[in-house]
Amino acid sequence: MNPTCQSGVDLLMDYLEGVLAPGVQASLEQHVAGCARCTAFVASYLETTRVIRDVTAVPLPADREKALLEFLRSRTK
Amino acid sequence: MVAAERDDTDEGLAARAADGDASAFEVLVKRYQARVFGLACRLTGSEDDAADVLQDAFLQAFRHLGSFRGEARFGTWLYRIATNAALMHRRSRARRPAEPLDAFLPAFDDAGVHRATPEELRVASRVEELLDRQSLARKAREAVDRLPESYRTAFVLRDLEDLPTGEVAEVLGIEPAAVRQRVHRARLLLRGYLNALAGACP
Repeated sequence: MNPTCQSGVDLLMDYLEGVLAPGVQASLEQHVAGCARCTAFVASYLETTRVIRDVTAVPLPADREKALLEFLRSRTK
Repeated sequence: MVAAERDDTDEGLAARAADGDASAFEVLVKRYQARVFGLACRLTGSEDDAADVLQDAFLQAFRHLGSFRGEARFGTWLYRIATNAALMHRRSRARRPAEPLDAFLPAFDDAGVHRATPEELRVASRVEELLDRQSLARKAREAVDRLPESYRTAFVLRDLEDLPTGEVAEVLGIEPAAVRQRVHRARLLLRGYLNALAGACP
């Protein structure tokens, strides 16, 4: 099988999780290694998750933590 | 009982809490409250809503401790309760239908080759250099909010809360292949969105 950029993109997550048949996995790897567009695409695909995880993280404020404990103590007696 | 013999695993604490040990339940709350709050923020898109979900999820967990039999890990069981609570909360709010992100999917020519150049495809990787953190955080939350619910839920659990695919499948009661399909679609849409965001920067 000779993957195209499009068929490679379709299988990208399966590829990254290592759940494809070994032959398919190898042919995708070969395609990406020789394709500047796919190399750029895969890098930005991975970056997307990291960036969104970083910027959407919200720590639990101390007052909300206190309110939770008080709420649970009042409701679980 | 000697302290060293106590089972302080999640499951051990859950068993003691189910037998009426309030302090055991509080240890579990402290252990998971930040993660449940983070999950709820990302699923509801609002800190105030997330605070309600946090209370609701732990109260439901407490009330159903008797039905937790240790078939799943405690964390997986709690994530399931919290995810459902967040989805119920979200559905109870009247919202304007979100504009879909479909325009941001990658485009290919007839031969299946990316239409964009490598430089254009790489722009999403530079979004942090091009936008200030506050604007980027707001835009990222808006984009996650615009995903279809099934994609958003799977993406938040898998990629933002960093649960393994198999555990997300357990939380959602779907097959791992379905988790991968939903997360992949979400990643494609969000990647294209970030790319457009960064590409539009001067």
